[in-house]
Amino acid sequence: MKIDKTLPLEYQTEENSNRIFGFWIFLGAEIVLFSTLFAVYFTLWTRSGTGPSAAEIFQIKPVLLETFLLLTSSFTCGLAIHAMRLGMKKPFMTFMAITLLLGLGFLGIEIYEFVTYVHEGATLQTSAFLSSLFVLLGTHGAHVTMGLLWGSGIMIQTQREGFTHDTANKSFIFSLYWHFLDVVWIFIFSFVYLKGLM
Amino acid sequence: MKQLFPIRHVMGYVFSLILSVVALAVIVWDMSFTTAITILLICAAIQAAVQLFMFMHIDEDKSNKASNYTNIAYALFVGLVTIFGTLFTMIWGYL
Repeated sequence: MKIDKTLPLEYQTEENSNRIFGFWIFLGAEIVLFSTLFAVYFTLWTRSGTGPSAAEIFQIKPVLLETFLLLTSSFTCGLAIHAMRLGMKKPFMTFMAITLLLGLGFLGIEIYEFVTYVHEGATLQTSAFLSSLFVLLGTHGAHVTMGLLWGSGIMIQTQREGFTHDTANKSFIFSLYWHFLDVVWIFIFSFVYLKGLM
Repeated sequence: MKQLFPIRHVMGYVFSLILSVVALAVIVWDMSFTTAITILLICAAIQAAVQLFMFMHIDEDKSNKASNYTNIAYALFVGLVTIFGTLFTMIWGYL
């Protein structure tokens, strides 16, 4: 196995470098996936039928909190990778734990928001607007949930094995995924919530 | 402790918080639809760039740099064609 010591640990073998590049290609496909969901939402968002409209159900406070939690978790995830490159395991684990807790907080608020909507009579079946809204938000939320499980698994493995070519590579790829979810959220925050409330 | 908080990441974080607050202006003040959408588009684009360059370091993998940029540019192209193509046929085309 050819190992290039001049690169950060997660890039050192050719296989790992290819895995990172492969993940970027996957993120390209994710961009297209979320674009189709945004396209559906933009087409249907005024079609609320007899159900509530966007301005009637959106509340800015929980959304701002969600934005803050996810932005901060993206930041701490970047710090975790930075700590990993310095070879510092304890700060890495701490930052990863903070990242996942903030992600969990985000998910909690989103679930609370969904429950509130349903109590207000805004369900997946109510109108075209709500179907497209729940599918867009739900797909993002499902990605965050998946990220929480994935991140926890990586933390357990890093705790056991320390920083190896494998664990460093997995952690780095997880960080790309997590930052990407933050990018998607920025667009949901701007073009679903803020646009819906203005 | 200080080495754990690289300036590039801290700046990126501060930028994204500021941009989120700026975007909030569209619901705080009354403004035309065009102005509001322009503000949202600019803020979102800069925030996405902050994540991509300051947190994800899209430019750091020297051997795959060109392929990385091509891939993301192509994905954005397909995504934008999907969104604006849909808007064009489903919304604007029937005005």
